[in-house]
Parts: sequence; C-alpha cells; structure tokens
Amino acid sequence: MRAKTLALEKNRRSIWSTIILQRELIIMSVPLLLYKILFSYVPVTGWTMAFQNFKPSIRSMWDQEWVGFDNFVKLFTGINGERFIRDIRNTLAQSFLTLVVSYIGSILLALLLNEVKNVGFKRVIQNITYMPHFLSWIIVAGLVSTALSFPSSGGIINIILMKLHIINEPVQFLSNPDYFWGIVAGSHLWKELGWNTIIYLAAMTAIDPALYEAADIDGANRYRKMWHVTLPSIKPTIVILLIMSIGWILEAGFEIQYFLGNGLVIEKSETIDIFVLKYGIQMGNYSLATVAGIFKTVVSIILIATANWISGKLGEEKLV
Amino acid sequence: MKRFASLVLAAAVAVSMSACGQSSESSNSTSTSTTSAQSTTAESSGSSLPKLSGDNPVEFSIWITTNQQAPASDNKISKLMKEKLGVTLNYEIITPDKQDEKIGVALAGGEYPDLLGVTDQNGRMVTGGAFIPLDDYLKPELADALYEHVKPYWNRMAFDAGNGKHIYQIPNYNRYYGEITGGTNYSASGFWIQKAVLADAGYPDLSNMTLEKYFKLLEDYKNKYPTIDGQPTIAFEILCATGREWGLTNPPQYLAGYPNNGGVIVDENNVAQIFADKEIAKRYYKFLNEMNAKGLIDRESFTQTLDQYLAKLATGRVLGMYDQRWSFGNAHDALVAAGKDERTWVATMPTYDGIAPYYADRDVMNINQGLGVSVSCKNPDLAVSFLNEIMKEEWQKILSWGIEGEDYQVNAEGRFERNDKQREESKDLVWRSSNKLMAFLDIMPKHNGSFSDGNAFSPDDQPEEFYATLRPYDKEFLAKYNKKTWRDFNNQPPENPVYYPCWSIPLQDGSEAQMANKQLTDTSLQYLPKAILADPSEFEKIWSDYVAAIGKINIKAYEDAINAGIQDRIKNWGN
Repeated sequence: MRAKTLALEKNRRSIWSTIILQRELIIMSVPLLLYKILFSYVPVTGWTMAFQNFKPSIRSMWDQEWVGFDNFVKLFTGINGERFIRDIRNTLAQSFLTLVVSYIGSILLALLLNEVKNVGFKRVIQNITYMPHFLSWIIVAGLVSTALSFPSSGGIINIILMKLHIINEPVQFLSNPDYFWGIVAGSHLWKELGWNTIIYLAAMTAIDPALYEAADIDGANRYRKMWHVTLPSIKPTIVILLIMSIGWILEAGFEIQYFLGNGLVIEKSETIDIFVLKYGIQMGNYSLATVAGIFKTVVSIILIATANWISGKLGEEKLV
Repeated sequence: MKRFASLVLAAAVAVSMSACGQSSESSNSTSTSTTSAQSTTAESSGSSLPKLSGDNPVEFSIWITTNQQAPASDNKISKLMKEKLGVTLNYEIITPDKQDEKIGVALAGGEYPDLLGVTDQNGRMVTGGAFIPLDDYLKPELADALYEHVKPYWNRMAFDAGNGKHIYQIPNYNRYYGEITGGTNYSASGFWIQKAVLADAGYPDLSNMTLEKYFKLLEDYKNKYPTIDGQPTIAFEILCATGREWGLTNPPQYLAGYPNNGGVIVDENNVAQIFADKEIAKRYYKFLNEMNAKGLIDRESFTQTLDQYLAKLATGRVLGMYDQRWSFGNAHDALVAAGKDERTWVATMPTYDGIAPYYADRDVMNINQGLGVSVSCKNPDLAVSFLNEIMKEEWQKILSWGIEGEDYQVNAEGRFERNDKQREESKDLVWRSSNKLMAFLDIMPKHNGSFSDGNAFSPDDQPEEFYATLRPYDKEFLAKYNKKTWRDFNNQPPENPVYYPCWSIPLQDGSEAQMANKQLTDTSLQYLPKAILADPSEFEKIWSDYVAAIGKINIKAYEDAINAGIQDRIKNWGN
C-alpha cells in the first residue's frame, strides 16, 4: 500500500518539481524561445497575403482585395505551373544529391580521420577541411564561377584537365544544364565537408574502447572494426541528423543558383527560391511568393513528420 | 553560488541580444533626426520653401540607381554642398541589375531613403506608394526652377498611379533647354566596332553596312591578330546579362530598319506587335549561329554577369558587340584612362538588304525615371527646396562643369573652356571620384541643352571643348573619316512619332502584361543561347521549339497593354 502511494505522489509532483529543479536551463532557453516565436511563428500571420491580391501601396493587411485560392491556381497551372513544377523537381534533385554526397563524404572522412594516429596531422587536415565553411556563399559562388570558366578567364579546372591531357578542348561547365546539379553538390561538399565531420568525429570519441578490444579479440581488422563497431555506434547521430536534413530538403540553397544560373542552364538550375525572387519580388507579386513559401513549409513539415515516424517504427532514434 | 552565476549569465545573454537589436535601430534614427530637428518655417506648401544655408546642416539619404560609384569622402563638391547649402547626402547606390529585387524588398518594407532616384520604367515605386506627389510644390512662387523645368512637358512627366495624374519624379535626362547642341556624342544603339579594326582595314566606308560586311571585318582582324595584349581576341560579344537582356533581343528591329520601341515593332497604323518570333528575328539568330560555327562568338557571353561583361570589354580584346553607348560607358572610360584609345569603339548600323538604318533617334526624355521625394522623408519641404536649388543654373554649372577657376575658365567671349591639364583630369577615374559627384549627376534633373549664357550643359556637348579634349588618336581617326563628331557616324534621325518610345510605356505590377513580358524575356534567354551555340543543323529544330514556347505565353495581354499606351500617348501628348 505504502509503496503505491509513494509512487503516485512522485508522479504528480514530477512535472512541476522538474521545472523548479531545472529552472536555470529553462530561463536560459526563454530568450531563444521568444526569438523563435517572434521570427518564425508571428510571421505566419503573413500567410493571409496568399489569399489576397497584395498591393504594397495599401499598407493595412485587412484592406487588401481578397481573391481566395486564385493565387494557388495561378502558381500551379498554366505556363507558370509548368515552370513551378519544374523548379520543385530541380530543388528536390539538388537537395537530394547534395544530401547523399555530403553524408557519404563526411562519414567517410570522419572514419578515415578517426583511424589516424598522428594527432598533429589529424588537426591540420581538420583545420584545412573546415575552413571553407566560414566563407560566405557569395565568395564561394564567385570562386566556383571563375574555376569553371574558360582557361583565358582563369578557369583552373579546365587548365588542369587540359594539362593532364584528359580533355583536348575546354569544357563549358557553366553552360551545360546537365552539369549543374553536380556543380551544386560539389560546391556544397567542398564547403561543408570539414564542418560536418566534426560532429561525427565527436560522436566517435564517445565510443567505449572496450568494444574495440572485444573486436580485436574476435580477430577483426581495421575495416571490420569500422564496419561493426564505429558505424553502428554513431548510427543514432546519423539518423537524427538525417531526419533534420530531410526537413530542409526544399532549401536547396540560394546563392549558387543565383550567381551561376543563366538562360542556358535555367531548366536545371532554377529552384523555388529563385522562382520566388524572379516572379514574386522582382515583379512585386508578393502574393505569389507567399504561396510558394506556404508550399515549402507544408511540404517540409510533412516530410519531417514522416521521416520521424518511419525512424520510430524502425526502432531508431526519434526527433520528437 | 553556481546557480546564481548561471542566472546572471542568462540575463546577460538576454540583455545583449536585445541590445544588438536596439543599436541598429538608433543608428537609423540619427540620420533622420537632424532633419526633424530642422524646424525652420515648418509650413508645408505654405508661402515659401525653407531656405538652405551652411548654418543649418541637414542630411538626406538618397537612393540612386546607377553604374557609377559613390564619391570619395574628400570629394570637393560634397564639401561645397555642405558649406553653401548645409546638405550632406548619404548615398545608397543600387546597380541597375539589382534594382528590381531592391524595389521589391523596399516596397515590402515600406521604409525608404529621403530622396529616391529610380530608373524603373514601370513606375513600381510610384504605384507602390513610395513617392509623394510634387504638384503642390511646382508653382512659380514655391519651387520656381523646378516649375520652369516641368511646365512645358507636364503631360509627359505626370504619371497616373491610380489617383489622377501627378508628377512624382523629375526625369533625369533629355529635358532640353534651347538649341539641342548635344550633337557630339552618340549615346544609343549600334553594332560597335573597334577603331583599331577599322584602321587596320584602311578606314573602309561604313555606309550600306550589312551583317556580312560587319562580321567580315571582325573575322579578318581576328585572324590577323589572334591575341591582344597577351589574351585571346574575341570577335563578337553578346550582351544578355540580367537587366540588359535587350542586348540579345533588340537587334532584329534595327536590322529591319525600325527604331527602338523595345520589344515591339509599330507599323504605320500605330499598331504594335512583338517581333521575337518573326522572320526578321530568325534571320539574325541564324546568322549568329553560323558565325558561332566559325568561332567568332564568345561562348561565355551567355554565362557571364554584367560586371564580367564590362570587365572583358575593358581589357580591349573585344572587337565588336551590339550594345548601347550609355551601357558600356564604364568600360570605355577605363580604356581611355589606360590610354588605349584605339581599342574603343565606333557605331556602325548594319541592316538587311539595303534598308535605310534608323538606329539613332531624337533624344527622348526619360519619363518614369528620375529623382523624387519619398514618403519616409521627415522634412519634404527642405528636400524640395534642395532639389530646386540644384535645378538652378548656378548649381547645374557646378555639378556639370565644376568649380570656375579650378575645373574650367571663362574666356573673353564668355565661353567655358578647359586647359589641357583639366581635360586630362576629367578622364581620370580617380580624379573624378574626388572632384565630381558622378552618381548624383547621373540621376539629378538636368538643364540639358544650353544655359542662358549660351554654354552647353556639359563639356562634352560644347563643340569646341569636345574637339579640343579629343586625344590625338581620335582626332586622326575622325579626320580619316572626314567627320567632326561621333554622332556623324549615325543616321540623321527623323522626327520621333508622338507615342515614341514604346519601351517607356509602364506595365503595371502584377498585371498579365508584366507577367507575359517577363515570360517572353525568360523564354528568349532560354532558347536563343541554345540556338546560337548549337550545331547549324540543329538550328531549325531549336527555333521551332522556341516559337512553340512563345505560343504558350499570353502575348496578347502584353501587346494590348502597349497598344493602349500608344493610343493614350497619341491622345495626350499632342504638345
């Protein structure tokens, strides 16, 4: 009897007492919570623009002309619709390719670096690889643009390939639509590789050395150890990061496509953000731009919820 | 103790985050606080405009769309403005290719600099409610100089943003006073060709120019000189960067002998039609396709930005391009400053089958572009007073010619002239940065034509100055062709039709016409580069794909809007 009463009391007290116990943590998170509410939730009232024919000269939100779902129809059908659907395809393809390439790259590099015994060398490589992360995307876009241009304009990729006699004539990377997705994935890889390996390396240091010893006893060589000990141990990290990344899949980045996109490659380079810029902001059509934004948010939420649920069903970590 | 410390830290973080937000707020308000501190007369459109003087310093933030740079901090004209008028300008320079986005963002925010100098033909800032109407100030007893400036052209300058026609912006170019003396420099379209190419070919006759002859000249020179200054020679460069897409789409109308009406050709019944999918366009692009097969077209034309294009031009290795003179001004100035006069260009006017060229037109006033006062200006009376002062001849001379005695002299006949040192200085870009307000000069309302004392508005328009400022190479070049000015290379323009030019007919933000226009431009940028760079055998297929894609666009909406604009102008621009 007594044990049961005690258990009941403990339950009822637990939430409030937890809050009291963790009050410092909660106070620390309040500013950020307010920031998030202010910048991510309050602007959702702007979604009303999608149902209006928004004219900036009429300053009040409630005096605008209401047009219902007209803007949605305009965005998804007709010549605009063709273009928008194509842009969705481009966005998804670029994000997905970037995701796959970045993941494989950073996990691979983390595994390799983990095996390096010479701490000095490890540090040097880490520093070199994560430095591009601090460059602004505009600078990287400029570098990529110059590197891929013709030799006479300073295109070192073409110069190197020609010197190695792999090609005879310079390749026009920037005017061939089929290369564009690769260029986006490649630029992301170059920029973020080092940064992403940091998280995996950190996770790897937390692996219990006893597991490695046990593997040694079982006669595992380096590669087997990687496959059977290291990878499974960082699986929770990989899964959580993957779920978060899936939520961002409609954010294929903006700067590379903006800077390197041109008429020739536009079929493969234009993403949702660029479409919003050209047909929304540059033409003062804020309502259309808002519809595209709503689309992105709704799809991202669905994707994240699905990924989270699947992950839970598979017995892995869940985000929520 | 530990808990207390962490609490303090948390509070510090919260305070510092909100303080960061505050400091940016306060820096914004200081720039306008001085204008609000200026009470002076404080009557709006009352008996007179407030007087500006050096004792009452005031700051105006100004948005200028231009390719020019902001002046250096030690600029002597800025100092003079502060001394005599008390005005300091805080520049916000927007390059033309970024203007559309910036306008979109600015209209969404609703906060603008005090003075707005935009060059967007569609009047988006006006319909978006950014400008104040200036009508109440434009009276002889208030803004007298501005009143004189706009009086004869009221109908053209006024813009209907939804509540009647008012004047919101004062045009920045081509409101002429007196004789149109600007017959020295040619500022518009042409198929430009390097002077060195013509010199090398023995100064051939440029009349009855055709595309074939033009490209032959380029080809011969390129074969003779495969590199210039160590870099490969480029025969023909195509301009199609953002904001300059007309470089790719405009030529067919000129080749067919029509003047520049933007994306349409207007026939003798004053009906406009697009020409992008017609035979005259196909002929031009097919020819470019053949030239590309010969290696005469720069393949990077289609992937470079405007800056990269201008930089390439400034190296002096581009032999020819289709462009407008005002557009590549920076590249021209850079070549002149580097002493490479032979690498600058003259305009030629190729046409199909002996059609008479109509490239040059009579200078049109730039309506829907120019300077105005924004709704965010705290003291509009002072701003209008400033614009009025600038409009007076005294300041026009200072801004255009410079300071008397330092930048020019008045000779015995009362004509302005410069000595050699002053002429060379005016070509030096670094000197200009400290001695002329280039950006402001670009956007301000100008007393084009001549002043009341007979001197031309700008040194370039004063015939004797123009000739004396020419470098020896240019003097010789003009002599070889028996011409006196650059404008002599172009056709004598007939009187402009009343509705001319159609490219300045505004398309409303959010209208079908604006959407169709943008879709047409985007489709052209997508298919034309492909068509030009493709193998000649594939041209026909790509062209029919292009025409089919145009067929899907609501072109009728665009043509209807232009035709409505034409009819409106024919009715109202009778003066």
